[in-house]
Amino acid sequence: MLAIIQTELVKIASRPRSYIGFAAITIIVSIIHLAMAEDGISYLGFITQSFEQSFFMEGKILNGNLVCFIILQTLIIQVPLLVALVTGDLVSGEAASGTIRFLTTRPVSRTQVLLSKFAAGGIYTLLLLLWLGILALAGGLLIFGNGDLVVLKSDELVILQQDEVLWRFMAALGAAFVALLLIASFSMLLSCYSDNSIGPIISTMAVIILFTIIGTMDIPLFDKIKPFLFTTHMVVWKSFFDNPVPTTQIWQSMIIMVLHIAGFTCLALFHFNRKDILS
Amino acid sequence: MKKAVLAFVFFISSMHTTAQQAQEVLDGVIKNYEKVKDYQADVHIVADISFIRILPMNARIYFKQPDKMRIVSKGIAILPRQGFDLMYRSITDKNSFTVVPQGNELLEGVQVQVISLLPLSDTMEVIIAKFWIDPQRHVIMKSQITTRTNGTIAAAYSYGSFATYGLPDQMTFWVDVKKFKIPKAVAADLNNNEKKEQPKGKDPNKGKIAITLSNYIINKGVPDKIFQEK
Repeated sequence: MLAIIQTELVKIASRPRSYIGFAAITIIVSIIHLAMAEDGISYLGFITQSFEQSFFMEGKILNGNLVCFIILQTLIIQVPLLVALVTGDLVSGEAASGTIRFLTTRPVSRTQVLLSKFAAGGIYTLLLLLWLGILALAGGLLIFGNGDLVVLKSDELVILQQDEVLWRFMAALGAAFVALLLIASFSMLLSCYSDNSIGPIISTMAVIILFTIIGTMDIPLFDKIKPFLFTTHMVVWKSFFDNPVPTTQIWQSMIIMVLHIAGFTCLALFHFNRKDILS
Repeated sequence: MKKAVLAFVFFISSMHTTAQQAQEVLDGVIKNYEKVKDYQADVHIVADISFIRILPMNARIYFKQPDKMRIVSKGIAILPRQGFDLMYRSITDKNSFTVVPQGNELLEGVQVQVISLLPLSDTMEVIIAKFWIDPQRHVIMKSQITTRTNGTIAAAYSYGSFATYGLPDQMTFWVDVKKFKIPKAVAADLNNNEKKEQPKGKDPNKGKIAITLSNYIINKGVPDKIFQEK
C-alpha cells in the first residue's frame, strides 16, 4: 500500500498543476504581507474608527498573528479550489490519459488503488496547508513581530493574549485539514464518475462557490439550508479563535465533516469498484 | 422696594459666596494634584464592552507633569480615550468654565459637594462637567462629563493611602458606545451569520472599564524617554 501511495505522490509531483496551489498561496500571502506592511495601520484604523472616539487600544495591534489570521480568513474560499485542482484529477486524469485500464489490471485491488489515491491527495492537501501556515504565520511573525491577536469579526472583536494564540493556530490548521480532506474526497468522488479532468474540478469548484454564496447571504430561507451544507462546517476552524472556545460546536462540525468524508469515500469506492472501464 | 433690593443683593452675594466656596473646594483638589510631579503604578484593567471580548490585562502607567501619560502593556489593553486627562483639564482651566455649586449629597457614606462646570464658550468640547467632591480629603469621588463628540463619560473613584495626592486606587469608567459594525468584506468575515444575543441586564450602549492601581511610585522621577518609546 505504501508503495502505491508513493507512486501516486510521484504522479502528483510530476504534474505542473500540482504547483499552481503553492504558487498561488505564495503570491497571495506575499501580497497581503506587503499590503499590511504598507497600509496595515490605516486598514486597522478603518476597523477601529467606530469606537476610537470612546476607547483606544494600547499595544501592538498590527502583528504577525493578526496578519496570519487575516490571510487565513481571506483564503478560506480559495484553498479548497486549489485542492480540488489536484484531487479532482486523480481518477479522471487516469481515464483521460488512458492509463486507468493499466492501473486496474495491476495485482492490487481497486479499493487499494482508490484509497492510495485518497491518501496521496491527503498528503498533498497537508503539504499545501502547511505551506500556507508556515508562510502566513512564520512570515507574518518575522515581518510584523509577535503580539496579542485581535480577531476581526463584522460585529465584534475578540482579543486573545499572545500566549494563547499558537495552539489555536495549530488547532485551526488541524480543523482546516479535515475540511480540505472533505473537499478532496468530494472531488475524488466526482472524479470517479468522469472520464475527463476538467469536469470534476469545475463541478467541485461550482459546488463550493454555490454553497459559499448560500452560506454568506443573510436570507431567512437560506438559514434553514445552511446547517446541511458542508461548507458551513468547513469554517469551524474559526471557532478556535472564540473565547471561550465552543467545543461542542467544534466537535459537532468535525463529526459532520468526518461523516461526509467517509460517505464520499465509500460512495467513490462503491462506484470505482463497479466501474466499467472502457477506455 | 428697599426690602426687595436688599433681598436681591443678599441673594447675589450668597450665590457669589457659594460659587467662591465651590472654587475653593476645586482649588483643594488641584492643590492635591499639584503635589504629584510624576508617578508610576501598576494597573489592572478589566473592560466590559458589548462588542469587545478581552481578558483582564496588567500594565504600567507613567505620568509626568504637565500632561505626559503613557501606559505600557505587554499585550493589548483597552482604555477610555478621555478618561484620565479630560477631568484634570476641566478643573484646572479656570478661564474657560463657570463654577456652579449644586449642593451636597451623601455618596457611599461620604458627604460630598456637587459642583458643575459650565463652559464659557459654546464651541468647547465639554458641554457640562459635574463633580462629586469630598471636601475633607479634597478628592473627586465621582465625575460625569458630557462632551460633544464622545457622549457622556461617567467615572467613580475610590481612594486608599494615596488620597493625599489625589491618586485613586480604583477608577471605573462608563462610556457611551455606538453599535460596532464593520463590512464583512473588510473584516474578511464572510461566513459569519451568527446573530449575537445581548446578555440580559446589560446596556449595549455603555462600556465599562475598571482600572485598579497599585504599587505607586510618586515623585521619584520618570525618564522622558518612556513617553517617547512607542
